[in-house]
Amino acid sequence: MGQKTAAGSVKSPPRFFHLFALWLRQHPEFGAFAGTVIVFIGFSFTATRFLTADSMASILTVAAELGIVSAGITFLMISGEFDLSVGSVLGVAAMIFAMTSKAGWPHFAGWVLALLTSAGIGLLNGIIVTRTRIPSFITTLGAMMFWRGILLAVTGGFPISYFPREMPLMFFALNGRFAGQFRTSALWFLGIMLLLNLVLVRTRYGNAVYATGGNREAARVLGVATDKVKLINFVISAVLAGLAGCIQFSRFLSVDPMRGLGLELEAIAAAVIGGTLLTGGAGNLIGTLFGVLLVGMVRSGLVQAGAPAYWYQAFVGLIVVVAVIVNTNLRRWALK
Amino acid sequence: MSGREPLVRMVNISKSFGTVQALKDVDFEVGYQEVMGLVGDNGAGKSTLIKILTGVFPPDTGEIYFEGRRVDIRSPKEARDLGIETVYQDLALIPLMSISRNFFLGREPVVRMGPLRFLDKRRMDMTVREVLSEIGIKVRSPDEPVAVLSGGERQSVAIGRAVHFGAKLLILDEPTSALSVRETHKVLDYILEAKERGLSIIFITHNIYHVYSVADRFTILEHGHKVAEFRKDEVSAEEIIEIIRSGYREPKE
Repeated sequence: MGQKTAAGSVKSPPRFFHLFALWLRQHPEFGAFAGTVIVFIGFSFTATRFLTADSMASILTVAAELGIVSAGITFLMISGEFDLSVGSVLGVAAMIFAMTSKAGWPHFAGWVLALLTSAGIGLLNGIIVTRTRIPSFITTLGAMMFWRGILLAVTGGFPISYFPREMPLMFFALNGRFAGQFRTSALWFLGIMLLLNLVLVRTRYGNAVYATGGNREAARVLGVATDKVKLINFVISAVLAGLAGCIQFSRFLSVDPMRGLGLELEAIAAAVIGGTLLTGGAGNLIGTLFGVLLVGMVRSGLVQAGAPAYWYQAFVGLIVVVAVIVNTNLRRWALK
Repeated sequence: MSGREPLVRMVNISKSFGTVQALKDVDFEVGYQEVMGLVGDNGAGKSTLIKILTGVFPPDTGEIYFEGRRVDIRSPKEARDLGIETVYQDLALIPLMSISRNFFLGREPVVRMGPLRFLDKRRMDMTVREVLSEIGIKVRSPDEPVAVLSGGERQSVAIGRAVHFGAKLLILDEPTSALSVRETHKVLDYILEAKERGLSIIFITHNIYHVYSVADRFTILEHGHKVAEFRKDEVSAEEIIEIIRSGYREPKE
Protein backbone atom coordinates (compact mmCIF):
# COMPACT_ATOMS: atom_id res chain seq x y z
CA MET A 1 0.00 0.00 0.00
CA GLY A 2 1.14 3.51 -0.60
CA GLN A 3 3.69 2.92 -3.36
CA LYS A 4 1.61 4.86 -5.80
CA THR A 5 1.60 8.08 -3.83
CA ALA A 6 3.39 11.12 -5.15
CA ALA A 7 7.17 11.32 -5.02
CA GLY A 8 7.10 13.97 -2.29
CA SER A 9 5.60 11.59 0.23
CA VAL A 10 7.90 8.64 -0.41
CA LYS A 11 9.34 8.96 3.08
CA SER A 12 6.06 7.90 4.67
CA PRO A 13 4.02 6.12 2.03
CA PRO A 14 0.88 5.49 4.12
CA ARG A 15 0.50 9.18 4.86
CA PHE A 16 -1.83 9.81 1.93
CA PHE A 17 -4.06 6.97 3.01
CA HIS A 18 -3.95 8.13 6.57
CA LEU A 19 -5.12 11.63 5.65
CA PHE A 20 -7.76 10.15 3.39
CA ALA A 21 -9.01 8.01 6.28
CA LEU A 22 -9.21 11.06 8.53
CA TRP A 23 -11.13 12.93 5.88
CA LEU A 24 -13.42 9.96 5.33
CA ARG A 25 -14.41 9.85 8.99
CA GLN A 26 -16.23 13.12 8.56
CA HIS A 27 -17.52 12.43 5.07
CA PRO A 28 -19.83 9.42 4.97
CA GLU A 29 -21.17 10.73 1.65
CA PHE A 30 -17.98 9.74 -0.17
CA GLY A 31 -19.30 6.31 -1.18
CA ALA A 32 -22.41 7.77 -2.82
CA PHE A 33 -20.35 10.44 -4.53
CA ALA A 34 -17.98 7.85 -5.98
CA GLY A 35 -20.92 5.69 -7.05
CA THR A 36 -22.56 8.64 -8.77
CA VAL A 37 -19.40 9.40 -10.69
CA ILE A 38 -18.92 5.77 -11.73
CA VAL A 39 -22.52 5.31 -12.88
CA PHE A 40 -22.38 8.65 -14.66
CA ILE A 41 -19.29 7.62 -16.60
CA GLY A 42 -20.82 4.21 -17.31
CA PHE A 43 -23.97 5.67 -18.83
CA SER A 44 -21.98 8.28 -20.76
CA PHE A 45 -20.55 5.42 -22.78
CA THR A 46 -23.54 3.11 -22.99
CA ALA A 47 -26.48 5.49 -23.38
CA THR A 48 -26.12 7.57 -26.49
CA ARG A 49 -28.19 10.59 -25.49
CA PHE A 50 -27.16 10.54 -21.84
CA LEU A 51 -24.81 13.54 -22.02
CA THR A 52 -27.42 16.05 -23.18
CA ALA A 53 -29.10 18.88 -21.31
CA ASP A 54 -32.51 17.24 -21.77
CA SER A 55 -31.24 14.04 -20.27
CA MET A 56 -29.76 15.88 -17.28
CA ALA A 57 -33.05 17.70 -16.86
CA SER A 58 -35.02 14.45 -16.80
CA ILE A 59 -32.65 12.99 -14.21
CA LEU A 60 -33.10 16.05 -12.06
CA THR A 61 -36.88 15.89 -12.40
CA VAL A 62 -36.93 12.34 -11.05
CA ALA A 63 -34.27 13.08 -8.43
CA ALA A 64 -35.98 16.25 -7.21
CA GLU A 65 -39.32 14.66 -6.32
CA LEU A 66 -37.68 11.65 -4.70
CA GLY A 67 -35.02 13.83 -3.10
CA ILE A 68 -37.44 16.13 -1.29
CA VAL A 69 -39.01 13.07 0.34
CA SER A 70 -35.64 11.52 1.02
CA ALA A 71 -34.33 14.72 2.65
CA GLY A 72 -37.03 14.49 5.32
CA ILE A 73 -36.44 10.77 5.76
CA THR A 74 -32.72 11.36 6.19
CA PHE A 75 -33.30 13.89 8.93
CA LEU A 76 -35.64 11.51 10.70
CA MET A 77 -33.35 8.51 10.26
CA ILE A 78 -30.39 10.39 11.74
CA SER A 79 -32.51 11.00 14.83
CA GLY A 80 -33.09 7.25 14.99
CA GLU A 81 -36.60 6.80 13.56
CA PHE A 82 -38.26 5.63 10.34
CA ASP A 83 -41.20 6.86 8.35
CA LEU A 84 -42.82 4.32 6.07
CA SER A 85 -45.90 6.49 5.61
CA VAL A 86 -44.30 9.14 3.38
CA GLY A 87 -45.59 7.50 0.19
CA SER A 88 -49.16 7.61 1.49
CA VAL A 89 -48.72 11.14 2.80
CA LEU A 90 -47.48 12.16 -0.63
CA GLY A 91 -50.65 10.67 -2.13
CA VAL A 92 -52.92 12.34 0.42
CA ALA A 93 -51.30 15.75 -0.12
CA ALA A 94 -51.45 15.44 -3.90
CA MET A 95 -55.10 14.44 -3.66
CA ILE A 96 -55.98 17.39 -1.41
CA PHE A 97 -54.16 19.75 -3.75
CA ALA A 98 -56.01 18.23 -6.74
CA MET A 99 -59.45 18.29 -5.13
CA THR A 100 -59.16 21.85 -3.82
CA SER A 101 -57.87 23.03 -7.21
CA LYS A 102 -60.74 21.33 -8.96
CA ALA A 103 -63.20 22.82 -6.48
CA GLY A 104 -61.97 26.28 -7.49
CA TRP A 105 -59.99 27.13 -4.36
CA PRO A 106 -57.08 29.52 -4.74
CA HIS A 107 -54.15 27.25 -5.52
CA PHE A 108 -52.06 28.68 -2.77
CA ALA A 109 -54.75 27.88 -0.18
CA GLY A 110 -55.04 24.31 -1.46
CA TRP A 111 -51.29 23.92 -1.25
CA VAL A 112 -51.20 25.22 2.32
CA LEU A 113 -54.03 22.88 3.32
CA ALA A 114 -52.17 19.93 1.78
CA LEU A 115 -49.02 20.80 3.73
CA LEU A 116 -50.94 21.36 6.98
CA THR A 117 -52.64 18.00 6.61
CA SER A 118 -49.26 16.37 6.02
CA ALA A 119 -47.89 18.11 9.10
CA GLY A 120 -50.84 16.78 11.09
CA ILE A 121 -50.17 13.22 9.96
CA GLY A 122 -46.48 13.59 10.83
CA LEU A 123 -47.32 15.00 14.24
CA LEU A 124 -49.65 12.07 14.90
CA ASN A 125 -46.90 9.60 13.91
CA GLY A 126 -44.50 11.39 16.21
CA ILE A 127 -46.89 11.51 19.16
CA ILE A 128 -47.65 7.80 18.87
CA VAL A 129 -43.96 6.88 18.65
CA THR A 130 -42.75 9.10 21.50
CA ARG A 131 -45.66 8.43 23.85
CA THR A 132 -46.06 4.70 23.42
CA ARG A 133 -42.43 3.82 22.57
CA ILE A 134 -43.73 1.55 19.82
CA PRO A 135 -41.05 1.22 17.11
CA SER A 136 -41.64 3.78 14.36
CA PHE A 137 -41.35 0.98 11.83
CA ILE A 138 -44.64 -0.42 13.14
CA THR A 139 -46.36 2.90 13.80
CA THR A 140 -45.66 4.27 10.35
CA LEU A 141 -46.39 0.93 8.67
CA GLY A 142 -49.85 1.26 10.17
CA ALA A 143 -50.05 4.90 9.11
CA MET A 144 -48.97 3.97 5.59
CA MET A 145 -51.81 1.45 5.25
CA PHE A 146 -54.35 3.64 7.03
CA TRP A 147 -53.86 6.74 4.88
CA ARG A 148 -53.64 4.74 1.69
CA GLY A 149 -56.94 3.13 2.64
CA ILE A 150 -58.53 6.51 3.35
CA LEU A 151 -57.28 7.75 -0.01
CA LEU A 152 -58.83 4.79 -1.82
CA ALA A 153 -62.09 5.05 0.09
CA VAL A 154 -62.53 8.78 -0.48
CA THR A 155 -61.78 8.64 -4.20
CA GLY A 156 -63.49 5.32 -4.81
CA GLY A 157 -60.24 4.29 -6.49
CA PHE A 158 -60.58 6.79 -9.36
CA PRO A 159 -57.93 9.26 -10.41
CA ILE A 160 -58.55 12.98 -10.25
CA SER A 161 -57.42 15.26 -13.04
CA TYR A 162 -57.34 19.01 -13.25
CA PHE A 163 -56.61 20.74 -16.51
CA PRO A 164 -56.60 24.52 -16.13
CA ARG A 165 -56.73 26.55 -19.34
CA GLU A 166 -53.37 28.03 -18.57
CA MET A 167 -50.65 27.00 -16.16
CA PRO A 168 -51.44 28.54 -12.75
CA LEU A 169 -48.64 30.52 -11.16
CA MET A 170 -48.57 28.20 -8.13
CA PHE A 171 -48.05 25.19 -10.40
CA PHE A 172 -45.26 26.98 -12.20
CA ALA A 173 -43.63 27.83 -8.89
CA LEU A 174 -43.82 24.20 -7.80
CA ASN A 175 -42.80 22.44 -10.97
CA GLY A 176 -42.79 24.71 -14.03
CA ARG A 177 -40.33 24.45 -16.88
CA PHE A 178 -37.52 26.92 -17.25
CA ALA A 179 -34.33 26.84 -19.30
CA GLY A 180 -35.48 24.12 -21.68
CA GLN A 181 -36.50 20.92 -19.93
CA PHE A 182 -35.30 21.95 -16.48
CA ARG A 183 -38.01 22.32 -13.85
CA THR A 184 -38.40 24.49 -10.78
CA SER A 185 -38.71 21.32 -8.69
CA ALA A 186 -34.95 21.02 -9.01
CA LEU A 187 -34.59 24.39 -7.27
CA TRP A 188 -36.87 23.32 -4.44
CA PHE A 189 -34.85 20.14 -4.14
CA LEU A 190 -31.46 21.83 -4.01
CA GLY A 191 -32.72 24.59 -1.73
CA ILE A 192 -34.21 22.13 0.75
CA MET A 193 -31.10 19.96 0.72
CA LEU A 194 -28.80 22.89 1.43
CA LEU A 195 -31.08 24.38 4.08
CA LEU A 196 -31.53 21.10 5.94
CA ASN A 197 -27.84 20.31 5.73
CA LEU A 198 -27.04 23.72 7.16
CA VAL A 199 -29.42 23.04 10.05
CA LEU A 200 -27.89 19.61 10.59
CA VAL A 201 -24.24 20.60 10.52
CA ARG A 202 -24.23 24.18 11.76
CA THR A 203 -26.95 24.55 14.40
CA ARG A 204 -27.65 23.41 17.92
CA TYR A 205 -30.73 21.63 16.66
CA GLY A 206 -28.61 19.59 14.25
CA ASN A 207 -26.36 18.58 17.12
CA ALA A 208 -29.43 17.45 19.05
CA VAL A 209 -30.60 15.41 16.03
CA TYR A 210 -27.29 13.53 15.81
CA ALA A 211 -27.21 12.97 19.56
CA THR A 212 -30.79 11.70 19.69
CA GLY A 213 -30.06 9.08 17.05
CA GLY A 214 -26.55 8.31 18.27
CA ASN A 215 -27.58 7.37 21.78
CA ARG A 216 -30.98 8.49 23.02
CA GLU A 217 -30.28 7.75 26.67
CA ALA A 218 -26.94 9.57 26.68
CA ALA A 219 -28.47 12.53 24.87
CA ARG A 220 -31.29 12.67 27.40
CA VAL A 221 -29.02 12.71 30.45
CA LEU A 222 -27.02 15.47 28.76
CA GLY A 223 -30.15 17.58 28.56
CA VAL A 224 -31.32 17.04 24.96
CA ALA A 225 -35.12 16.99 24.61
CA THR A 226 -35.02 13.81 22.54
CA ASP A 227 -38.79 13.34 22.26
CA LYS A 228 -39.22 16.87 20.99
CA VAL A 229 -36.50 16.35 18.40
CA LYS A 230 -38.21 13.21 17.13
CA LEU A 231 -41.60 14.89 17.03
CA ILE A 232 -40.26 17.79 14.99
CA ASN A 233 -38.48 15.42 12.61
CA PHE A 234 -41.62 13.38 12.02
CA VAL A 235 -43.36 16.62 11.06
CA ILE A 236 -40.50 17.65 8.75
CA SER A 237 -40.54 14.26 7.07
CA ALA A 238 -44.31 14.36 6.48
CA VAL A 239 -44.41 17.99 5.30
CA LEU A 240 -41.65 17.35 2.77
CA ALA A 241 -43.51 14.26 1.51
CA GLY A 242 -46.62 16.44 1.16
CA LEU A 243 -44.63 19.09 -0.70
CA ALA A 244 -43.30 16.42 -3.07
CA GLY A 245 -46.91 15.31 -3.66
CA CYS A 246 -47.96 18.85 -4.64
CA ILE A 247 -44.90 19.19 -6.87
CA GLN A 248 -45.67 15.92 -8.57
CA PHE A 249 -49.30 16.89 -9.12
CA SER A 250 -48.16 20.14 -10.72
CA ARG A 251 -46.26 18.06 -13.25
CA PHE A 252 -48.85 15.38 -14.06
CA LEU A 253 -52.00 17.49 -13.45
CA SER A 254 -53.62 14.28 -12.35
CA VAL A 255 -53.33 12.01 -9.36
CA ASP A 256 -54.52 8.49 -8.73
CA PRO A 257 -55.00 7.03 -5.27
CA MET A 258 -51.97 4.76 -5.65
CA ARG A 259 -49.66 7.75 -6.12
CA GLY A 260 -46.48 7.43 -4.05
CA LEU A 261 -46.84 3.71 -3.50
CA GLY A 262 -43.45 2.19 -2.71
CA LEU A 263 -41.79 5.60 -2.63
CA GLU A 264 -40.94 5.26 1.07
CA LEU A 265 -38.53 2.43 0.33
CA GLU A 266 -36.89 4.28 -2.52
CA ALA A 267 -36.46 7.33 -0.28
CA ILE A 268 -34.90 5.22 2.48
CA ALA A 269 -32.71 3.50 -0.12
CA ALA A 270 -31.40 6.86 -1.34
CA ALA A 271 -30.60 7.95 2.22
CA VAL A 272 -28.82 4.68 2.95
CA ILE A 273 -26.82 4.85 -0.29
CA GLY A 274 -25.76 8.30 0.88
CA GLY A 275 -24.24 6.89 4.05
CA THR A 276 -27.03 7.55 6.54
CA LEU A 277 -27.05 4.80 9.14
CA LEU A 278 -30.22 2.73 9.40
CA THR A 279 -29.65 2.74 13.15
CA GLY A 280 -29.37 6.53 13.38
CA GLY A 281 -26.74 8.92 14.62
CA ALA A 282 -24.79 9.38 11.40
CA GLY A 283 -25.30 10.65 7.90
CA ASN A 284 -25.91 13.92 6.13
CA LEU A 285 -27.88 15.40 3.26
CA ILE A 286 -24.99 15.71 0.86
CA GLY A 287 -24.90 11.92 0.84
CA THR A 288 -28.64 11.76 0.26
CA LEU A 289 -28.24 14.27 -2.58
CA PHE A 290 -25.85 11.89 -4.33
CA GLY A 291 -28.05 8.95 -3.38
CA VAL A 292 -31.09 10.37 -5.19
CA LEU A 293 -29.00 11.55 -8.14
CA LEU A 294 -27.73 8.00 -8.46
CA VAL A 295 -31.27 6.60 -8.38
CA GLY A 296 -32.48 9.24 -10.85
CA MET A 297 -29.58 8.52 -13.19
CA VAL A 298 -30.24 4.80 -13.11
CA ARG A 299 -33.90 5.36 -13.92
CA SER A 300 -33.31 7.58 -16.99
CA GLY A 301 -30.02 6.03 -18.00
CA LEU A 302 -31.34 2.47 -18.24
CA VAL A 303 -34.15 3.58 -20.51
CA GLN A 304 -31.77 5.54 -22.68
CA ALA A 305 -29.34 2.64 -22.82
CA GLY A 306 -32.17 0.61 -24.30
CA ALA A 307 -32.78 -1.64 -21.31
CA PRO A 308 -36.43 -2.47 -20.52
CA ALA A 309 -37.71 -0.24 -17.71
CA TYR A 310 -38.29 -3.34 -15.59
CA TRP A 311 -34.58 -3.56 -14.92
CA TYR A 312 -34.72 -0.35 -12.95
CA GLN A 313 -35.84 -1.91 -9.66
CA ALA A 314 -33.33 -4.72 -9.89
CA PHE A 315 -30.55 -2.26 -10.54
CA VAL A 316 -31.49 0.03 -7.65
CA GLY A 317 -31.72 -3.00 -5.37
CA LEU A 318 -28.22 -3.99 -6.38
CA ILE A 319 -26.90 -0.49 -5.78
CA VAL A 320 -28.39 -0.33 -2.28
CA VAL A 321 -26.68 -3.51 -1.15
CA VAL A 322 -23.36 -2.69 -2.78
CA ALA A 323 -23.48 0.86 -1.41
CA VAL A 324 -24.06 -0.29 2.14
CA ILE A 325 -21.27 -2.86 1.92
CA VAL A 326 -18.90 -0.22 0.57
CA ASN A 327 -20.00 2.43 3.08
CA THR A 328 -19.66 0.03 6.00
CA ASN A 329 -16.20 -1.08 4.97
CA LEU A 330 -15.05 2.47 4.31
CA ARG A 331 -16.29 3.50 7.75
CA ARG A 332 -14.51 0.62 9.43
CA TRP A 333 -11.30 1.26 7.55
CA ALA A 334 -11.39 4.99 8.29
CA LEU A 335 -11.74 4.40 12.02
CA LYS A 336 -8.73 2.09 12.20
CA MET B 1 -15.03 20.59 57.23
CA SER B 2 -16.45 20.83 60.71
CA GLY B 3 -18.75 23.69 61.52
CA ARG B 4 -19.40 24.41 57.87
CA GLU B 5 -22.41 23.22 55.92
CA PRO B 6 -21.25 20.56 53.43
CA LEU B 7 -21.74 20.97 49.68
CA VAL B 8 -24.39 18.27 49.57
CA ARG B 9 -26.48 17.02 52.43
CA MET B 10 -29.16 14.41 51.85
CA VAL B 11 -31.26 13.74 54.93
CA ASN B 12 -33.51 10.79 55.69
CA ILE B 13 -33.89 9.76 52.09
CA SER B 14 -36.33 6.91 51.48
CA LYS B 15 -37.52 5.52 48.20
CA SER B 16 -39.50 2.46 47.26
CA PHE B 17 -40.52 1.02 43.94
CA GLY B 18 -43.75 -0.88 44.45
CA THR B 19 -43.04 -3.26 47.32
CA VAL B 20 -39.27 -2.97 47.01
CA GLN B 21 -37.67 -0.62 49.52
CA ALA B 22 -34.71 0.72 47.54
CA LEU B 23 -33.56 3.23 50.17
CA LYS B 24 -34.47 3.53 53.84
CA ASP B 25 -33.65 6.66 55.87
CA VAL B 26 -30.32 7.28 54.26
CA ASP B 27 -28.21 10.28 55.28
CA PHE B 28 -25.45 11.22 52.89
CA GLU B 29 -23.00 14.10 52.81
CA VAL B 30 -20.26 15.33 50.54
CA GLY B 31 -17.99 18.14 51.71
CA TYR B 32 -16.32 20.84 49.63
CA GLN B 33 -13.39 19.59 47.61
CA GLU B 34 -13.90 16.09 48.88
CA VAL B 35 -13.88 12.78 47.05
CA MET B 36 -16.61 10.54 48.45
CA GLY B 37 -16.49 6.86 47.62
CA LEU B 38 -20.01 5.43 47.40
CA VAL B 39 -19.69 1.68 47.59
CA GLY B 40 -21.81 -1.40 48.15
CA ASP B 41 -22.89 -4.54 46.40
CA ASN B 42 -25.32 -4.73 43.51
CA GLY B 43 -28.78 -3.62 44.60
CA ALA B 44 -27.42 -1.73 47.60
CA GLY B 45 -29.11 1.46 46.48
CA LYS B 46 -26.11 3.40 45.17
CA SER B 47 -27.62 4.28 41.84
CA THR B 48 -31.03 5.02 43.34
CA LEU B 49 -29.43 7.52 45.69
CA ILE B 50 -27.57 9.17 42.81
CA LYS B 51 -30.64 9.26 40.61
CA ILE B 52 -32.50 11.10 43.35
CA LEU B 53 -29.64 13.57 43.67
CA THR B 54 -29.57 14.16 39.92
CA GLY B 55 -33.31 14.62 39.56
CA VAL B 56 -34.06 11.46 37.61
CA PHE B 57 -36.78 10.69 40.14
CA PRO B 58 -37.86 12.30 43.43
CA PRO B 59 -37.42 10.66 46.86
CA ASP B 60 -40.55 9.45 48.71
CA THR B 61 -39.34 11.23 51.83
CA GLY B 62 -36.27 13.19 52.79
CA GLU B 63 -34.60 16.47 52.01
CA ILE B 64 -31.69 17.60 49.90
CA TYR B 65 -29.50 20.59 50.74
CA PHE B 66 -27.04 21.93 48.19
CA GLU B 67 -24.59 24.62 49.34
CA GLY B 68 -26.70 24.90 52.46
CA ARG B 69 -29.92 25.63 50.60
CA ARG B 70 -32.88 23.29 50.53
CA VAL B 71 -33.43 22.20 46.91
CA ASP B 72 -35.99 20.23 44.94
CA ILE B 73 -34.26 18.70 41.96
CA ARG B 74 -36.92 17.75 39.48
CA SER B 75 -34.92 16.89 36.37
CA PRO B 76 -31.36 16.10 35.26
CA LYS B 77 -31.29 19.55 33.72
CA GLU B 78 -32.09 21.22 37.05
CA ALA B 79 -29.29 19.22 38.65
CA ARG B 80 -26.95 20.37 35.94
CA ASP B 81 -28.01 23.98 36.40
CA LEU B 82 -27.12 23.68 40.10
CA GLY B 83 -23.65 22.47 39.13
CA ILE B 84 -24.13 18.74 39.54
CA GLU B 85 -22.64 16.87 36.59
CA THR B 86 -22.91 13.14 36.15
CA VAL B 87 -20.68 10.96 34.02
CA TYR B 88 -22.34 7.62 33.43
CA GLN B 89 -20.23 4.64 32.52
CA ASP B 90 -21.80 3.94 29.11
CA LEU B 91 -23.48 7.26 28.52
CA ALA B 92 -20.55 9.61 28.90
CA LEU B 93 -20.20 10.43 25.22
CA ILE B 94 -21.84 9.53 21.93
CA PRO B 95 -19.32 7.53 19.88
CA LEU B 96 -20.62 8.47 16.42
CA MET B 97 -20.36 12.20 17.06
CA SER B 98 -17.24 14.31 16.96
CA ILE B 99 -15.37 15.16 20.14
CA SER B 100 -16.22 18.83 19.95
CA ARG B 101 -19.93 18.20 19.25
CA ASN B 102 -20.00 15.85 22.22
CA PHE B 103 -18.19 18.24 24.46
CA PHE B 104 -20.71 21.02 23.93
CA LEU B 105 -23.83 18.91 23.51
CA GLY B 106 -26.78 20.85 24.91
CA ARG B 107 -24.60 23.91 25.64
CA GLU B 108 -23.23 24.83 22.24
CA PRO B 109 -21.89 28.37 21.83
CA VAL B 110 -23.50 30.17 18.90
CA VAL B 111 -22.85 33.15 16.70
CA ARG B 112 -25.82 35.25 15.67
CA MET B 113 -26.47 36.23 12.09
CA GLY B 114 -29.62 38.30 12.19
CA PRO B 115 -32.36 36.09 13.59
CA LEU B 116 -30.30 32.96 12.92
CA ARG B 117 -27.94 31.26 15.30
CA PHE B 118 -25.15 29.04 14.09
CA LEU B 119 -22.69 26.91 16.04
CA ASP B 120 -19.55 28.78 16.90
CA LYS B 121 -17.35 26.05 15.47
CA ARG B 122 -14.13 27.97 15.93
CA ARG B 123 -14.71 28.54 19.62
CA MET B 124 -15.85 24.95 20.09
CA ASP B 125 -12.75 23.54 18.41
CA MET B 126 -10.40 25.89 20.22
CA THR B 127 -11.81 25.01 23.63
CA VAL B 128 -11.72 21.30 22.92
CA ARG B 129 -8.14 21.50 21.70
CA GLU B 130 -7.14 23.21 24.95
CA VAL B 131 -8.97 20.74 27.16
CA LEU B 132 -7.58 17.74 25.27
CA SER B 133 -4.02 18.97 25.56
CA GLU B 134 -4.52 19.60 29.28
CA ILE B 135 -5.70 16.03 29.71
CA GLY B 136 -2.89 14.81 27.48
CA ILE B 137 -4.98 13.28 24.72
CA LYS B 138 -3.50 13.54 21.25
CA VAL B 139 -5.95 13.67 18.38
CA ARG B 140 -5.49 15.23 15.02
CA SER B 141 -8.62 17.30 15.20
CA PRO B 142 -11.58 17.97 17.51
CA ASP B 143 -13.75 16.84 14.59
CA GLU B 144 -12.59 13.29 15.08
CA PRO B 145 -15.40 10.97 16.17
CA VAL B 146 -15.32 9.89 19.82
CA ALA B 147 -15.11 6.33 18.51
CA VAL B 148 -11.36 6.82 17.97
CA LEU B 149 -10.79 7.50 21.70
CA SER B 150 -10.06 4.73 24.19
CA GLY B 151 -12.38 4.10 27.12
CA GLY B 152 -10.14 5.99 29.52
CA GLU B 153 -9.84 8.94 27.18
CA ARG B 154 -13.62 9.09 26.91
CA GLN B 155 -13.98 9.18 30.68
CA SER B 156 -11.33 11.87 30.90
CA VAL B 157 -12.99 13.99 28.22
CA ALA B 158 -16.32 13.68 30.04
CA ILE B 159 -14.66 14.73 33.31
CA GLY B 160 -12.90 17.57 31.50
CA ARG B 161 -16.24 18.71 30.17
CA ALA B 162 -17.70 18.87 33.67
CA VAL B 163 -14.69 20.86 34.92
CA HIS B 164 -14.86 23.21 31.96
CA PHE B 165 -18.52 24.01 32.51
CA GLY B 166 -17.91 24.88 36.13
CA ALA B 167 -19.42 21.87 37.86
CA LYS B 168 -19.32 21.95 41.66
CA LEU B 169 -20.13 18.31 42.16
CA LEU B 170 -19.05 15.58 39.80
CA ILE B 171 -20.71 12.18 40.01
CA LEU B 172 -18.76 9.33 38.42
CA ASP B 173 -20.56 6.06 37.87
CA GLU B 174 -18.06 3.20 37.57
CA PRO B 175 -15.53 5.37 35.73
CA THR B 176 -12.81 2.71 35.76
CA SER B 177 -14.74 -0.51 35.39
CA ALA B 178 -13.97 -1.15 31.72
CA LEU B 179 -10.43 0.19 31.66
CA SER B 180 -6.95 -1.26 31.44
CA VAL B 181 -4.58 -0.81 34.38
CA ARG B 182 -2.69 2.05 32.78
CA GLU B 183 -5.85 3.83 31.71
CA THR B 184 -7.34 3.40 35.15
CA HIS B 185 -4.38 5.22 36.63
CA LYS B 186 -4.74 8.07 34.20
CA VAL B 187 -8.42 8.49 35.02
CA LEU B 188 -7.73 8.31 38.77
CA ASP B 189 -5.05 10.98 38.40
CA TYR B 190 -7.45 13.09 36.49
CA ILE B 191 -10.07 12.73 39.24
CA LEU B 192 -7.53 14.05 41.75
CA GLU B 193 -6.76 16.92 39.43
CA ALA B 194 -10.45 17.80 39.22
CA LYS B 195 -10.48 17.83 43.02
CA GLU B 196 -7.45 20.15 43.09
CA ARG B 197 -9.44 22.52 40.95
CA GLY B 198 -12.06 22.72 43.66
CA LEU B 199 -14.64 20.14 42.65
CA SER B 200 -16.29 17.65 44.94
CA ILE B 201 -16.63 14.16 43.59
CA ILE B 202 -18.86 11.18 44.25
CA PHE B 203 -17.15 8.05 43.01
CA ILE B 204 -19.45 5.05 42.66
CA THR B 205 -17.76 1.72 42.10
CA HIS B 206 -17.42 -1.95 42.83
CA ASN B 207 -13.68 -1.75 42.75
CA ILE B 208 -12.65 -0.75 46.27
CA TYR B 209 -8.96 -0.49 45.39
CA HIS B 210 -9.63 2.06 42.68
CA VAL B 211 -11.76 4.26 44.88
CA TYR B 212 -9.55 3.77 47.94
CA SER B 213 -6.59 5.39 46.25
CA VAL B 214 -8.41 8.66 45.60
CA ALA B 215 -11.29 8.97 48.10
CA ASP B 216 -11.27 11.01 51.32
CA ARG B 217 -14.30 9.29 52.80
CA PHE B 218 -16.47 6.27 52.11
CA THR B 219 -20.16 5.58 52.45
CA ILE B 220 -21.20 1.94 52.37
CA LEU B 221 -24.74 1.04 51.43
CA GLU B 222 -26.42 -2.30 51.71
CA HIS B 223 -29.97 -3.29 50.89
CA GLY B 224 -31.02 0.36 50.90
CA HIS B 225 -29.46 1.16 54.29
CA LYS B 226 -26.35 3.11 55.03
CA VAL B 227 -24.31 0.59 57.00
CA ALA B 228 -21.13 2.56 57.54
CA GLU B 229 -19.30 5.78 56.87
CA PHE B 230 -15.57 6.21 57.31
CA ARG B 231 -12.78 8.66 56.81
CA LYS B 232 -9.93 7.13 54.92
CA ASP B 233 -7.66 7.07 58.01
CA GLU B 234 -10.23 5.01 59.92
CA VAL B 235 -10.35 2.05 57.57
CA SER B 236 -8.34 -0.03 55.13
CA ALA B 237 -9.46 -1.16 51.70
CA GLU B 238 -9.57 -4.75 52.97
CA GLU B 239 -11.86 -3.78 55.82
CA ILE B 240 -14.27 -2.09 53.43
CA ILE B 241 -14.34 -5.19 51.26
CA GLU B 242 -14.94 -7.32 54.34
CA ILE B 243 -17.88 -5.13 55.39
CA ILE B 244 -19.48 -5.39 51.96
CA ARG B 245 -18.83 -9.13 51.81
CA SER B 246 -20.20 -10.00 55.22
CA GLY B 247 -23.11 -7.57 55.29
CA TYR B 248 -22.06 -5.61 58.37
CA ARG B 249 -24.71 -3.58 60.17
CA GLU B 250 -23.97 -0.47 62.12
CA PRO B 251 -24.34 -1.44 65.79
CA LYS B 252 -26.41 1.61 66.66
CA GLU B 253 -29.82 0.04 67.40
